[in-house]
Order: sequence, then C-alpha cells, then structure tokens
Amino acid sequence: MTLAFFCLGSLSLLGQLDSAVSEKDRKEWIDWIYAQQVLPDPEDLDKSRYTCGFKGSSWAGHSYDPQATSTKYDPNDTASIPNTYTALANLLLLGDDLSRVNTKAIATMLKHLQQEDGSYAPTYGSSETDIRFVFCACVISHILDDWSGVDIDRATAFIRNSQSYENAMGQSPEGEAHGGSTFCGVAALTLMGKLKEGLVDRDELIKWCLARQISGFQGRPNKKEDTCYCFWIGGALQNLGAFHLVNDANLRSFLMSTQTIRGGFGKDSESPPDVLHSYMGLATLSLMKEPGLTELDTALNIPIAGVNHLRKLRGHQ
Amino acid sequence: MQTDSYANNPEWEDVQPIPQDDGENPLVPIAYSREYSEAMDYFRAVARVNEKSQRVLELTAHIIDMNPAHYTIWQYRQSLLDALKMDLNTELDFIDVLAEEKSKNYQIWHHRQVVVEKLGNGSREIAFINKAIEDDSKNYHAWSYRQWVVQAFNLWDNELSYVEDNLRIDIRNNSAWNHRYFVVFSRPDAKIDDSTVQREVEFSKRMIKIAPNNGSSWNYLLGVLRKCGQSVETLEPFLDELSKDNIQSPHLLSTKILLYEHAAQKQERSINDEALKLCDELASKYDPIRSKYWGYRKSQLQAISI
Repeated sequence: MTLAFFCLGSLSLLGQLDSAVSEKDRKEWIDWIYAQQVLPDPEDLDKSRYTCGFKGSSWAGHSYDPQATSTKYDPNDTASIPNTYTALANLLLLGDDLSRVNTKAIATMLKHLQQEDGSYAPTYGSSETDIRFVFCACVISHILDDWSGVDIDRATAFIRNSQSYENAMGQSPEGEAHGGSTFCGVAALTLMGKLKEGLVDRDELIKWCLARQISGFQGRPNKKEDTCYCFWIGGALQNLGAFHLVNDANLRSFLMSTQTIRGGFGKDSESPPDVLHSYMGLATLSLMKEPGLTELDTALNIPIAGVNHLRKLRGHQ
Repeated sequence: MQTDSYANNPEWEDVQPIPQDDGENPLVPIAYSREYSEAMDYFRAVARVNEKSQRVLELTAHIIDMNPAHYTIWQYRQSLLDALKMDLNTELDFIDVLAEEKSKNYQIWHHRQVVVEKLGNGSREIAFINKAIEDDSKNYHAWSYRQWVVQAFNLWDNELSYVEDNLRIDIRNNSAWNHRYFVVFSRPDAKIDDSTVQREVEFSKRMIKIAPNNGSSWNYLLGVLRKCGQSVETLEPFLDELSKDNIQSPHLLSTKILLYEHAAQKQERSINDEALKLCDELASKYDPIRSKYWGYRKSQLQAISI
C-alpha cells in the first residue's frame, strides 16, 4: 500500500497521474484498495473493533471483496495505522469519494491504539509505539474529518516530551533527535493546531533543522546527507514557516546528483533508485517550486491534487 | 533452514496451502519469489486454523529469513514461543544470528525486547547491543534498545565509560552524545548537583577544544546548561579562550551571538553591533550555506526593542 503511495504520489507531483492511469485501472485499483479494508465483524464486534482500517496487502489469503461491509475477524489479519494513512491518500489521489470507508470503525481503532503516554501502536497487539504513528493518526483523522480517535492533549504532550536536549524530536522521549521523527512531530502538531503548545523552542528547532544541510540534508548531526531527509527536514521547515531559509541552489544540485540514468532518485549519488527516494526527491523539488511539478501539502504529506479533491468532497471551495 | 519445497515434504502432506487472492488487477502486484510464495501459502493455511507446532515455528523462521519486515509473522512467532513453552534463550540465539545481517530492521529489535521481557533476564543484552554498535556505531534501534535494557535491568553503572569509549573512537558520534545525556539525567537515582553539572560542562568543553567544528558537543553543552538552568553567559571566558586560539568555528560564533542576544534582552538595550557583524561574517565567510538564515538571524537581533 505504501509502495503504491510513493508511485501514485510521484506521478501526481509530476502532473502525470491522470494521463498515466487509464479509467479502467483507476476503478480497479480503487476496488483493490477497498478490498484491503478490515471491517467490523458483526459476530465478533468486541474483538474486531481493535482491528479495523486498512491493511497493506491481501497476504492473509481471505477472498477478494471490494464491496464488503463486514469482514470476518482474524487476529492475524489486522489493519495498521500507516497502511490506513497511505490507503486513504491513495484513494484521494485516484479521485475516489471515500464512500466505502468505514470512518467510525477507523476512529474506534485509533482510540484503542493510543497509549497512556499519548503515542500510538501501529496495530493491535504491537508494543512498537512511537511518534511515526502519532503523525499517521493525525493525517487519518484530518482526512476523515473525525478526531474522536485522538486525545489531542496527550498526543501533544508526547510530542513535546520527545524533543531532546537538541530541541528536535526523537522517535520517543529520550531518543536521539532525528529528521524523520521531527517531520512527524511537527506535521502532527500542525494538523492538531498545537504548534505553539507542542514545541519547546521553535527558533532552536528551526536552527537545528537548517544546521542539517550539508548540500542535501542529513537526518542527524554528523551523518551523511540523504535524499529522504531533504524532504523530512524540508517538510518540517515548511510547516514551521521557515523553508525559505534553505539554500535552494545547493539542495537542488544535491538532488540532481542522486538522479540516475535509469530515472528516479537514490538516497545518494552512489545508490540505485527506489520508489521511496524518488518520491522524496520530487517532493523536495516541489517545495522549491521546481517548474513542471505540482505542489504538495506538507502537513499531510499528500500532493495537492489529492488535497484539493478532499476539499471538494468536504464541500469546501 | 528449510529449502525443500513444502509440497513435496511428507511432514506437510496434511496441509492444503491457501493462495493469496488479490483480484484481477491489484494496485501493487509484488513479484514474490516462488520459494516465498509457497512458504506463505502454507503459513496462511496453518495460521487460519491457529496451529501452534514446531513445524510452524520452523516455517516462521524460513519466512523471516526471506522477509524480516513481515510484522504478523513475528507476532505469530511470539504466540508460538508461549504455546510451545520454548526455551527463550534458544530464541535469543536465533535473533543473534539474524541480527548479524539485518540489524537495521525494526521488527528484530522489537521481537528481542518481547523475548527478553518474557525472560526477565537481560544478562545477554549489553554484549548483543555492543556488537550491533560495533558494526554500525549510530544504529538508532540499537541505542534505543540500549536505553530500554539499561532502565529495565538497572544497568547504569558502566554506561558512562561505554559512552566515553565510543567518543574516543568517534568524537562526532551523536548517538553516543545522546546516550550520555540519557545516562546522566534519566537515571532514577541520579543526583544532579553542581559537581555533576560542572563535570558535564567541563567534559563538553574538553571535547569542543579537540574538535571545535563538532556540532554534537556544542549541542550537548548548551543542552546541559539549559537543563540545569545555567545562563549561557557563564561560557564567556571559554569562548574568549577559543577566540584567542584563532578558532573560527561557526558554532563558536553562533554561541557568541547567543550571548550578545541574552545580554541585550537582560539589560533591555539594543543589540551590540558586534553580534550583527558576526551574522554578516557567518553569512559571507564561515557558514555561507546558511547565509539566508544568518540574514534572518540578524533581522531578529535588530528587532530586539530597547
């Protein structure tokens, strides 16, 4: 599901999504995404409320049904927060109306996965709780326009506590400050409208982010530059209203050096291209308003076409 | 590890494999290897009936070896450890081998934590983590897991010297710096008195003198001061000393600016011109990649009202 997001997202940033995808594919892919939705099981409502949302693939072998309104509870086939986020993003990019999404079931799942300290587990039964899933939970709640699955105060406190002595966020409290975690924390605060309450020191955070620029950006002090951190940190700066302080020329030349003759971007000039780094490279160029690329919403990390479609669905504009 | 195909293995004769049903036009058709597809077909079948057996344990090991990122397989394996009353030390042996190749994978570390928590004994963990850090001194999972182990089994005593060993090898290892902060300030019985603060401040100053361009040690120094409510102004003699030695590190100049800013705010007067000059020098000479930032910083300083 996430691989699909990087592909569809890249095409959207390139302005090619509509022309590259036939009407038949568009419809069938939307169906495929819905076939990954885990729904309440009327015969086991109690257990199934922890597991609803979207899963990454149909690996568990249940029969393909894009029109289902319930699924049989299976403890080995649960939805996850990151896949629910990318599934919804993919549906928006493909122009779906979200009418088959069970919003209430997803909000309930989120509510059960939020921990005492405000963080989220990615899926039922996992102890892998950290800031990544707080971000995904916020994007999901924004798209569904239902925040009942997020205790905003606790989530804000968690993000605040995850800022280390460097004033940037780690994966969780006490963790080393990290570009990816910082993106997640800042974007989640932006979506919750809690930037003011959630940041320990905004100026110092901006300085930390800018200090990560070598030509491209590194994810932590004294690490190598990497295409994906150009976006994670660039996106954080954009959400902090400080992207204009980035050195565009250097950043652009680094990104160009990570493009390969086969097309696509790698993580640095020596690496082969992959879909994640290609999306991240395009997304960063989009932040710099590269001609020919469309914009993207850095709080949601979704290309603008998907966000505009969401606005239309919600009756704005 | 099992390489025979399951279909020809008499031990699996009774199982009817279940293929993946992905519709006619999946969005992400993945080109699984035949070996992986077949193993997964058998896994689906046994998971469906919740079979907990030795052969399923071996099957999960086979799948994990091909795809260690498959969360559900790990979760199923954890339920097998309980059901089969496995010797958890054997499971740690299994992870020891696996981690040699795949120490960047999230799931391995979480699985390790689950097993060690069940075992209630962390005596093998420090050696295990040391090995991962030797291979990759900034492995985020290894350092996070180390924090958990140190806390859970009260293993604080040797940590400071471990940090110093790491910084001797690489003074720029930011993960080691972060761990130092954790060890000093998060130990539940830590007494943060003046002598501790003094020790940390002096330590970071020594490290800065060795490598004045190392952002990690500067961040640490400023972090310690903030944590202990000490003013940055106490750094003035140290900064002067560095300047006398002709050190031109952007971190030094940026900290000087911070001092001027504090002084102006405290004394409610406009910023010393020297600070504005430093911004210009950073922008043009010492840190030109951030010239826009230093221009912005300059305008911030000029805006301090009198």
